[in-house]
Amino acid sequence: MGDTFGLLMHGFSIALTPLNLLWGFVGVMLGTFIGVLPGVGPALTVAMLMPLTVKLDPTGALIMFAGIYYGAMYGGSTTTILLNTPGESASIATALEGNLMAKNGRAGPALATCAIGSFVSGTIATILVTLLAPVVVEIALKFGPAEYFALMVFAFTTVSAVIGSSTVRGLTSLFLGLLLGVVGIDSQTGSSRFAFGVPELLDGVDVVVLAVGLFAVGEALYVSAYASRLEEKMEEIKGSLWMSKEDWKRSWPAWLRATAIGFPFGSIPAGGAEIPTFLSYAVEKKLTKYPEEFGKGAIEGVAGPEAANNASVTGALVPLLTLGIPTSATAAVLLSAFQNYGISPGPLLFQMQADLVWGLLASLYIGNVLLLILNLPLVGIWVKVLSIPQPLLYGGILVFATLGAYSLHQSVVDLIMLYVFGLLGFIMRRWDIPVAPAVIGLILGPLAETQARRALAISQGDPSVFITHPISASILGLSFILLVVPLIVRLVRRK
Amino acid sequence: MKAKPAELILALSVVILGIAVALGTSQLSGAGGYAKVGPNVAPAVIAGALILLGIWLLYEALSGGWRNAIADDPKARGEHRFHGSAFIWVSLGLILQIVLIDRAGFVLAQAALFALVARGFGSVKLPRDFAIGLLLGLSVFLFFVKFLNVNLPAGWLKPLLGGAGI
Repeated sequence: MGDTFGLLMHGFSIALTPLNLLWGFVGVMLGTFIGVLPGVGPALTVAMLMPLTVKLDPTGALIMFAGIYYGAMYGGSTTTILLNTPGESASIATALEGNLMAKNGRAGPALATCAIGSFVSGTIATILVTLLAPVVVEIALKFGPAEYFALMVFAFTTVSAVIGSSTVRGLTSLFLGLLLGVVGIDSQTGSSRFAFGVPELLDGVDVVVLAVGLFAVGEALYVSAYASRLEEKMEEIKGSLWMSKEDWKRSWPAWLRATAIGFPFGSIPAGGAEIPTFLSYAVEKKLTKYPEEFGKGAIEGVAGPEAANNASVTGALVPLLTLGIPTSATAAVLLSAFQNYGISPGPLLFQMQADLVWGLLASLYIGNVLLLILNLPLVGIWVKVLSIPQPLLYGGILVFATLGAYSLHQSVVDLIMLYVFGLLGFIMRRWDIPVAPAVIGLILGPLAETQARRALAISQGDPSVFITHPISASILGLSFILLVVPLIVRLVRRK
Repeated sequence: MKAKPAELILALSVVILGIAVALGTSQLSGAGGYAKVGPNVAPAVIAGALILLGIWLLYEALSGGWRNAIADDPKARGEHRFHGSAFIWVSLGLILQIVLIDRAGFVLAQAALFALVARGFGSVKLPRDFAIGLLLGLSVFLFFVKFLNVNLPAGWLKPLLGGAGI
């Protein structure tokens, strides 16, 4: 405990150097700027802004990413409230009451409760991450390859089968991602798989190309085809930005409850901030003293989901940093950013690169503060960004999207893949196939395969290693139950 | 209720993809060393899973349609009917960019992309959009090449850009 505090203070001494503080500031500004654009979620924002960090040292780059990550989320909630176009599924619950508040001329307090709620829940969640991460690291150090493999299977199950509207479509998306993951040189034997003699494919498919293709190109194709001739109605910000005494009184408990709901969801590898946001919405609706306001713009209905989103996203840093397991598309893109710097998150990271880890954790606190003091006063600028006409907006998004994909390896092959993934993203969006499992499958699949083969190498090829180790066996058993039980229940109910 | 053609086609595509992966897997080495699991095992598992998932999707398509999917009628989704020309303009922009980037260079390719995407989204001011795209591409190019030291192709504009880029 005292040790953790000392390490964190050391982290602050790294994060608070003027240069690193500057990168955090730049990250928050750019993250908000891009995150505000309609249809652009945090995963895409991080992927598009990745090339900007090439010149930075790893610590500076990660601090900038932390800023981008937080900025993108805040920017996204601004758009959600004013335009009612949630950039990601985790913002849908915020949109429900938030847009109604804006329609009733209460956009200011809605934005304020989001910003302050994000700060409160983000800070509490960051404290919890700081306390929890070293504990998880202690446990994780005892894990062998079999346990890692089991944890990854668990993450696969939750992100694809448990979350979302359809088990079969989630799993299809996951296996498409896993298939893309085996393209290239096999890390264990050096033989090439599914590269079709294209040298650029030997290094595998980059997560950034897939994420940008699915999220940016796919989205642009979809919106152009189905929503480019609609009248968009942006709610204006009328009256005061400030929350009244009453608003404060109603927001506080919602923020705290939402943090308690969101953080555990994020920190176990269960993935997705969607469930906790809806859970928080339901809880607030149940507990409110003003049930008649729900459906007309109740402030608790904005404060809760937004805080739950933030707490869950911050909590997701626990499995990402300590185990190297991403549980959302955004975390998958962050993991790929780590890998570009030759950093592999996991328990060893805390020992080998303590400066980097604690600098990053400290910068999360700073990012939260920067967001609070920068964004509310600057909300006028973000609203201007929102009023860019759609043709120019999407022209710009695609220019930055292709830049993000092309500047990785200066390769036309990446641009061709980007367009193909865009077509795939269009199909998935139109026929309701979730895209996040594909992104997570692509980055986590090769890691899972490596762990499985390591485990089998140790056991001399005996596959029972996964079920004779008690931890691995229980995690695999739990994944199996999560996957199969809902299906059986559905089958039984039909009869 | 009649099965929807799109769902049938997509489900069949997943099955066919699975079969193609299975065929490709049979070309891979099975040598696995101590682990007795070679580079062909993961692709084989993926191939099997895709075939099964495709059959599952096919079953859902034939028995009342995919479950819990979004509405087929764009109006019910708050959108307008499929606008084919918009889709084609955006696609053309992306394809033209792929063709141009190594020849004409980054700046011109991005200007073309920007103008065609804007056209797809309903803008009728093509010269203006091209000019904005040119400006945007140029500023990105200079920022990346001069400041971040990331090389981008200068292409036809090489004489104008003073040797910057590749």
